[in-house]
Amino acid sequence: MAIECSYYLEPVDTTDLAQRFLKAFAAILSHSNYAMVLDAACTVTSRCGRCTSTCPVYQTSNDPRDIPCMRSELLLKIYRRYFTPGGALRSRFGVPWELDEAYLNTMAEEYYRCTACRRCKLECPMGIDHGLITHLGRWVLAEVGIVPKALVVATREQLEGDTHNTSAIPKAALVDTCEFLEEDCVDEHGLKIEFPIDREGGEYVFFPAVSDYLLEPDTLTGNAAVMSATGGSWTIGTGAFDGINYGLFYSDRMLDRIVSMEADEVRRLGAQKILIGECGHASRSAKYFVRTFCGADDAPEVVNFMEYTLDAWKSGRLGLKKRAITERTTYHDPCNIARSGWIIEQPREILRHICVDYVEMTPNGRENYCCGGGGGTVSIDEIREFRTKVGGAVKAEQIRRTGAELVVAPCANCKKQLREVCEDHGLDHVRVVGLHDLVLLALDPPEHMVVRGDAAAGESSTEVRGEY
Amino acid sequence: MDAWIEFARGPLFRIALTVMVLGLGYRVVVTVAQIASAWYRAGDRRLPLSDITEATVKWIFPVRLLRTRPAYSAASFLFHLGVVLVPLFLIGHVALLEELLPTAWPVLPPLAADTFTVVALSALLVLLVGRVVSRSARVLSRTQDVVLLLVLFATLFFGFLGSNPTVSPVASRTMVLIHILLGDLVLVLVPTTRIAHCVLYPFTQLLFQLGWHFPAESGRHVAEVLAKENEPV
Repeated sequence: MAIECSYYLEPVDTTDLAQRFLKAFAAILSHSNYAMVLDAACTVTSRCGRCTSTCPVYQTSNDPRDIPCMRSELLLKIYRRYFTPGGALRSRFGVPWELDEAYLNTMAEEYYRCTACRRCKLECPMGIDHGLITHLGRWVLAEVGIVPKALVVATREQLEGDTHNTSAIPKAALVDTCEFLEEDCVDEHGLKIEFPIDREGGEYVFFPAVSDYLLEPDTLTGNAAVMSATGGSWTIGTGAFDGINYGLFYSDRMLDRIVSMEADEVRRLGAQKILIGECGHASRSAKYFVRTFCGADDAPEVVNFMEYTLDAWKSGRLGLKKRAITERTTYHDPCNIARSGWIIEQPREILRHICVDYVEMTPNGRENYCCGGGGGTVSIDEIREFRTKVGGAVKAEQIRRTGAELVVAPCANCKKQLREVCEDHGLDHVRVVGLHDLVLLALDPPEHMVVRGDAAAGESSTEVRGEY
Repeated sequence: MDAWIEFARGPLFRIALTVMVLGLGYRVVVTVAQIASAWYRAGDRRLPLSDITEATVKWIFPVRLLRTRPAYSAASFLFHLGVVLVPLFLIGHVALLEELLPTAWPVLPPLAADTFTVVALSALLVLLVGRVVSRSARVLSRTQDVVLLLVLFATLFFGFLGSNPTVSPVASRTMVLIHILLGDLVLVLVPTTRIAHCVLYPFTQLLFQLGWHFPAESGRHVAEVLAKENEPV
């Protein structure tokens, strides 16, 4: 039988599929710490169902297969049967059960209905991390070729393609885009900014989600404006300029290779730190896995752009006009930077300063709800209806309750997803923007940035664009 | 009857207790060894210890627990309170333990012990009903999840009847015997079922957090084993 899912797959070789799955599972267990995780999950799970009260997917679908504990059980059942003595005995003398293609087909579908937001972990008294078990399950599936085509094609281009980025932007187009943004900033805002390319010996190498170059010019312009205003020492490297890391969503092998590419680019340019743009999963994958795979204390430090901006503002190197944004504004916490408590207050400090009417969603911070497009699912266009109507339903209601016109989502994936969620839930008045889109509008520029003359006419735009 | 009781509270109890102690000891040793090994192999050994500690401690107190599914959560807390306090601090249990090893903890007054037992029994009923009424819990529940609750309920119930002859419908010594036999069974079940969380709980938050700290070479080693080093993405 062929593997059929609601998302597109590249052709899957189904020859001895179950055996190949078990071989890959065994290899991963031998060379990782996952056996410890699965042993503990098998032992302490009480199947109480508390996780159902926190999962935005299950809360909407009410479908038992979306219960985090239920999803984990799909992998735990295989683990117990084939990798524990008790499971082998039970199968021999109790109820025999063998892994087959149909079971793997079920896994393939259900492991990509999870947005990997890890909210369920907050409500598990035992701390069982279903996000981690889903992460493992996806890796094993990927080793037998079961992975959404959208993710694997993008990763292939990033690691082995000519352009080395997931959007397949050629280097020449990157340079052109940066030049265009520099000119556009003069025209629109009367501000001179610079995107340094391949400048060696600086402090930071910049890795935004590469899709920002296509879809989020205001975010990038805001990033460059902050750097120009503060005299930041940064560059974009043409060897690798994409912070996106789909390895986080389906394969530790790919995760390793992508963060290693980032670290190599920093070393090639003689820089010191990785500066990640507004992207949750790019930030998390770099922050937590550059150290893992690239030499721990010898690895480049990872900084999120929002941390840089807040630090610059608080230290007086960056001027921001108070109450410059007049629309009611709320903030969406990307799961990948908020769940661990890493970035929660930093953007809020800025927003409370620059916004006239800043309101919070409830709950927020560590306990935020996922946008519904996490875990790589936002890149899978063919499941849009599931993403927005099911995964994003709770978030849509949260946004609606704030009455906000602007939703700040400092993440390329969240922005794409939230725009689709708003579209599909009748929130047409809501604009989804990045933090630096607003920082750009609130910027109190130093003299050296201000362009005078016909080009800028001395007036800067204060319009929030938000969608392209 | 008395001979049977002596057998159940004597040799049988000692065997069950030994199984429990050795079993739980094994569980703890294996878990600690796994944690140590995982930490040693991790490419990044920095751990958010304050977050882990906070997450571990907060579940011991019911405030957090009650935010979600309050009735079920309150029942769970009261049940745990009863099954920890009564077995350890009931005067009869302490006396039994003192035959094996010196104990140095106080005993519960009989009224308090009875109260905790009744509260735990009531809580167990709520948990059992919750397993049936709640759709998600019903779907998730395995046989052992229900059987364990029933065994624990029966143990407490017969213990209560045994220590309160006036309310026991049959001879209280019979109740005591059933209680002791069930108690011995529970001791054996502790390390072999999910009740093992009684000793593993302090490690679980750490363990699952550590799960994200991968060995630096894990991906490359997996690729070697699967002969995928040179295979395109």
